[in-house]
Amino acid sequence: MKESETACLQGQVIDERVELTFVELCRISGASEEELTLWVAEGALDPIGAYPREWRFSGAVLRRVAIAQRLSRDLMINPPGIALALDLLDEIGALRARTRAIPAAHRESGPPAGPA
Amino acid sequence: MEYKDYYEVLGLARDATQDDIKRAYRKLARKYHPDVSKHQDAEANFKEVGQAYEVLKDPEKRAAYDRLGAGWHGGEAFRPQPNWDEGFEFSGAGAPPDFDDYLASIFAAGRARPDGSLNAGRDHHAKLVVDLEDAYRGAQRVISLSVPVVDPQGHVRLQPRTLNVSIPKGIRAGQYIRLAGQGGAGHGDGAPGDLYLEIVFRDHPRFQVDDRDVTVDLPVAPWEAALGATVTTPTPDGEVAVTVPGNSPSGRRLRLKGKGIPGDPPGNLYVKLNIVLPPADSERSKAAYDTMRQSFDFDPRAHFYG
Repeated sequence: MKESETACLQGQVIDERVELTFVELCRISGASEEELTLWVAEGALDPIGAYPREWRFSGAVLRRVAIAQRLSRDLMINPPGIALALDLLDEIGALRARTRAIPAAHRESGPPAGPA
Repeated sequence: MEYKDYYEVLGLARDATQDDIKRAYRKLARKYHPDVSKHQDAEANFKEVGQAYEVLKDPEKRAAYDRLGAGWHGGEAFRPQPNWDEGFEFSGAGAPPDFDDYLASIFAAGRARPDGSLNAGRDHHAKLVVDLEDAYRGAQRVISLSVPVVDPQGHVRLQPRTLNVSIPKGIRAGQYIRLAGQGGAGHGDGAPGDLYLEIVFRDHPRFQVDDRDVTVDLPVAPWEAALGATVTTPTPDGEVAVTVPGNSPSGRRLRLKGKGIPGDPPGNLYVKLNIVLPPADSERSKAAYDTMRQSFDFDPRAHFYG
């Protein structure tokens, strides 16, 4: 077996402590600079800095941008649609989390069938 | 390779118009898109629908497929005539690679690096499903993925690859692990791209996770909630004792500070009390409920109607 297959890889965690530039975020997510600029203009993303070349994004937005890129590529959704889809996905995520938090006993309509 | 009825995949008759095909594809692509759909086989369905559309959207490919497809039925072994699909084999963008159970999906999201090195490899993306316990303790995971590679003849093939990846303690859903140099190979002297693993937690039967906070539903007896008690609760990091204060209503959330996903700051663990009533299934238990009825001046519906 090759060494590359057995050595344990230590990756870098991309989270809110990591700052990504405009160019980095484009490269990682696969989004074009034009797309990313339009998503920011729609308010779907909120970078620090006035101009694209100064923009700094939190590493925590990477997932959002990756989803935006895939939806835009696969379903041909335009920037206002992307902004709406991301907001709705956030809302659905929150609702699903709340549904999961309801105890199983409260979700069932009746008591479990027991021995007669 | 099995013959797939692309018309059936898109839910169409063989005489469907190009507009019908486009409409059916768009609708199913939205329905099964892995970022939107919670459908169990969303990923596979999305791929299949994409493959079908790839062929049927192009009148020439469609005609070739129709000629070849006559006489074949879904599920039968499929031996294509030489070169029938030349020029539009299901490679590259059309056919995302396969995964083992840790890898739900991979999306080639590559672009040439804008730093001038056009030979640089692409960045690859994959999902990595981990257990909540891994986030508490850290873990190692062996992942295998198939990566499309271009051979010297210019054909795209899927090459299996195994990686041993360290899952750092404190990892949370939605974060990424960047493995530098593990993405697509560079061309010529170009550097390889990076591999980005998106972390997803496997659904846990006991624990719900919200960012760094974890909630567990803890069943308690009515007398434990009423009189107070010290009870044992599971956490992703083993059992701990919690004090249930007296007069606790059902649904009360007790906070165990810092017992959520480790980090700086660590998350909290919330123990949500779920009062479970013992069944009145014997003379003694019925008598106990009757004693309760007589001991309380209690109307649960006192404020029910406002």
